[in-house]
Amino acid sequence: MSENKIDVEKKVMSAIKSGHIKLRSRYVFLAEKLGFGSAIVFTVVLAVLFFSLTFFYLKATDNLWYLSFGSRGLFAFLESFPYLLVVASVFLVCVAGLIIKRSGALYRRPFGFVAVGLVGFVVIVGIVLAFSDIFDGIEHRAFGDRCGGRFFKPFLHRGIEARGHGMVGRVLEVNGVSLNLQTPFGIRKVDVSIVEDAPNMQIVAGMFVMAVGEQRGDVFFARGLRLINENDMPMLGREIHRRFGVPSGTPPLCFQ
Amino acid sequence: MPTIASKANLSDEQLAQKVRANDKELYSEIIRRYEQKLAHYLRKFVSSPDELEDILQETFIKIYRNLNDFDADRKFSSWVYRIAHNEAVNYLKKFHRGNVSLEETEWEIVDDKPDALELANTILDKRALEKALTQLPEKYRAPIILYFFEQRTYEEIGEILRLPRNSVGTLIMRGKSAIKKYLNKSYERK
Repeated sequence: MSENKIDVEKKVMSAIKSGHIKLRSRYVFLAEKLGFGSAIVFTVVLAVLFFSLTFFYLKATDNLWYLSFGSRGLFAFLESFPYLLVVASVFLVCVAGLIIKRSGALYRRPFGFVAVGLVGFVVIVGIVLAFSDIFDGIEHRAFGDRCGGRFFKPFLHRGIEARGHGMVGRVLEVNGVSLNLQTPFGIRKVDVSIVEDAPNMQIVAGMFVMAVGEQRGDVFFARGLRLINENDMPMLGREIHRRFGVPSGTPPLCFQ
Repeated sequence: MPTIASKANLSDEQLAQKVRANDKELYSEIIRRYEQKLAHYLRKFVSSPDELEDILQETFIKIYRNLNDFDADRKFSSWVYRIAHNEAVNYLKKFHRGNVSLEETEWEIVDDKPDALELANTILDKRALEKALTQLPEKYRAPIILYFFEQRTYEEIGEILRLPRNSVGTLIMRGKSAIKKYLNKSYERK
């Protein structure tokens, strides 16, 4: 061992003295720490943003409302669910957790606590943010042609897409057992002859309705119908207004 | 240039700071202070003397290169052990070898911790303990070795392995019971 001892010391010291081995600059370590710090902050901010956007989506679209139809609305609910947003949020939380673990920044605390803290932070801040009006602006940009908004378009577009088992729109006209609806994806015909679950009010033009059923060819056969307040799913209401304009003299609220 | 006496008076942390301030010569003092300790630790992961020397050399090179990363408010020895531990883990990953060899003195367990004595009482055979340590998963082996053979505290082990203090205690406890189980089984077989 004593021979080894001299050997290692000699070898290492001669490499140091000859300049083969140099101290790494403190700026390299500083940059490394800053890099890890920025990566953590960036992913946590993105995770909050996407979680918040998920919450905003659920609040501003028809997705959750389909559940009020019971089992009839299940397909429409699954069709309109924001999978991409949920996957993006979960992925970003996992990436943030992984970076925190790899950087060893919070190693004194059990990782379980750190993970719970991270998820709690993302959920709480996300929910608070979802109630602010920043996402109305993001949505406006997403469906416009502004650069900043295009990034969010794929995530939000599902909220205004045509669905096979659900439909929301403003009544344009009533023709006996069929309704012509202004929807976010154009004018659609809804057959209400086989509706089992219908509102007690008479449906007139200008009202907002939500239907579950089945799309067959050009006609949507509704099995359940509800009158809705367009403010309950503002993203759809805004898209209809963007596409067809606000009818003059018609109050936006259709039933009280 | 510091004299031998003044070098000896410097703490590890002070030495590290002086080397960082471009006093390269003083690094030999750091090597002298840690060479045997690290060799002692690394031997639990690397059995071949040649490979041990290579890893030891690589460890000291890494320590020197990364001296600017050392936080002077922390314990230098924990930081040094952390680098040595990472080297050992890299070696194990690369070569999938994990033979543990204990020195005669270690076999007697030069440790006055009651847990170690209790552990020693259950041990009838040096080879059995070596084999038990070899069989032990890496996550248990490192805390057991650091605590019983390197005389490190839970706090220090936490810093070396980047684990919370409580987890260190848990891993040591589980590692100990895994060793006991293994030894009991091997004696039953005999």
